[in-house]
Amino acid sequence: MKRSNEFAVGITVLVAAAVVVIGAIALGQLRLGRGDDIRTARFRSIGGLGPGASVTLRGVKVGRVAEIRIAADDWVEVDFRLKPNLELPDQPAAIAAPATLFGEWRVNILPLDDASDDRGVQALLAEASTIGGAVWPGTTLPDIGELTLQASRIAGDIGSITNRIEGALDSNAVADVKASLKDLRATVVRLHNLANAQSENLTKLTGNMAKTSDEVDLASRRFNTVMGRVDSATMNGQLQDLVSTTRQTSTALRDMTADMQAIVRDVKDRRSSLVRVLEASDSLLTRVQSGRGTLSLLASDSALYYEATSTVRQLRQLLADIQANPRRYFRFSVF
Amino acid sequence: MSGPREFLTLSGRWVVEARRALADGPTWRGQLFPQMKKLGVDSVPVAVFVAVFTGIVLALLSSYMFTRAIPLYFVGTLVAKAVMLELGPVLTGMALAGRVGANVAAELGTMRVTEQVDALETLAISPHAYLVTPRVLAATLMFPMVTALAMAVGLLSGWFTAVNLLDLTSVEFLRGARQFYNFKDIWFGLVKSASFGMAVATLGCFQGLNARGGAEGVGRATTRAVVLGCQAILVLDAFWALVLL
Repeated sequence: MKRSNEFAVGITVLVAAAVVVIGAIALGQLRLGRGDDIRTARFRSIGGLGPGASVTLRGVKVGRVAEIRIAADDWVEVDFRLKPNLELPDQPAAIAAPATLFGEWRVNILPLDDASDDRGVQALLAEASTIGGAVWPGTTLPDIGELTLQASRIAGDIGSITNRIEGALDSNAVADVKASLKDLRATVVRLHNLANAQSENLTKLTGNMAKTSDEVDLASRRFNTVMGRVDSATMNGQLQDLVSTTRQTSTALRDMTADMQAIVRDVKDRRSSLVRVLEASDSLLTRVQSGRGTLSLLASDSALYYEATSTVRQLRQLLADIQANPRRYFRFSVF
Repeated sequence: MSGPREFLTLSGRWVVEARRALADGPTWRGQLFPQMKKLGVDSVPVAVFVAVFTGIVLALLSSYMFTRAIPLYFVGTLVAKAVMLELGPVLTGMALAGRVGANVAAELGTMRVTEQVDALETLAISPHAYLVTPRVLAATLMFPMVTALAMAVGLLSGWFTAVNLLDLTSVEFLRGARQFYNFKDIWFGLVKSASFGMAVATLGCFQGLNARGGAEGVGRATTRAVVLGCQAILVLDAFWALVLL
């Protein structure tokens, strides 16, 4: 009886001990009989990192966080237990970041140069790497709580902007904009008519000027002939000078007429462009007045604006509620 | 026992007797293994039975809770954490408090009312060394063993349930179980269960040796041993959670 008692107790104790050891090895993913590679990184703060957290290299799990300790000069040193014979970057850096929304953190091993584009992260890594030695530089990325806080701030900023827009774009302002658009349309119509009228006048003017110039030229020739006769009769030469001056004037008048014709052609070209612009403006204003398009809706329908404002308010409330009551959205219970 | 004063007096006397009894190795050593078998090995089926259904219920309950944002592999996390940290030690302790506490209290109470304990004292054999010490030591040593087996069985039954009744693979269950695993989870549960064993056996012996009034007194002592044992387990559970977590 005594022997059977001892045997039963011994078997039970052995089985229980084996269960504990095997369970600890299996759950802890301990590797027996192989020398792990122990590496150390230095952090200013480790965030939510804890012993047992995964260490990844290019997305592949290569080890675990073995130990965390406070070091001198406000540093925290973290030991990583890595698989042996890993091909690590020449200048590795350790970036600790949240892996899931549930408080799980992970360390990524990256080349120091490609660690992050963020200036703050780069500055922390540079600070940690100045110490040198076999210790890797390390830093943490913000966790979901900090991101939520930032999102809350952004939502607050958007809210204040919408409040300002609300102050600037009240119903009176919208009515003013509508009235301004009506005035602008009337002005455009008048400009169109004026341009047409002025174009006709200029055409007539240049025609008359050309005709006048020709008549002046003819008169000048006739006068020159008369004066030649007078000059030859008088032999004094003064009349010749007068005729010469008159001829120069006629030439200048002709050049000016040519310039005016060129201007009129240019005005005609510009008039067609202006007509196209006016037609486009007219079409746009017609669409605005008829209630089609985003601009028209913004000018005539305030629902879009109020919907946007309401959405931003609700976003702010939601974020504040998440911060105040995270368990309402993320429930995790043992019992 | 008529009041707190007498209870405190008896408790103090017990501490003194326990020190003497521990030093009297030859008296209790022969009783240790039989008590370890009776209180520990023979309790394994009860503990395994409790653990099997604990694992099943935990897996099903956690899958019921994790329906929206939380991935289902957290079933493994919850089953592992709950079984190792709390339900394994406490439910096993409760089950053994009924079995072991009642057994010890009834046995020693009967010996007391039939004057067998007086006979031992007449023969100059310390009842504490011969009756109490082997039972308390046996329960203290064997409760963690039984709890370790219960933890393993609870985890296995939770895994079996998750794989067969839930839309979860073994890899996912293991991933969840390993997600927040810490070796402290195991030894914390085992330390707790050792303290539960000591408390249950001590209270059973105390109630048994202080039984008075025949069969009715034995029944009263047995009931009180079980109730006090369960209460002690809950109090110690809270104590260890405060101290060790």
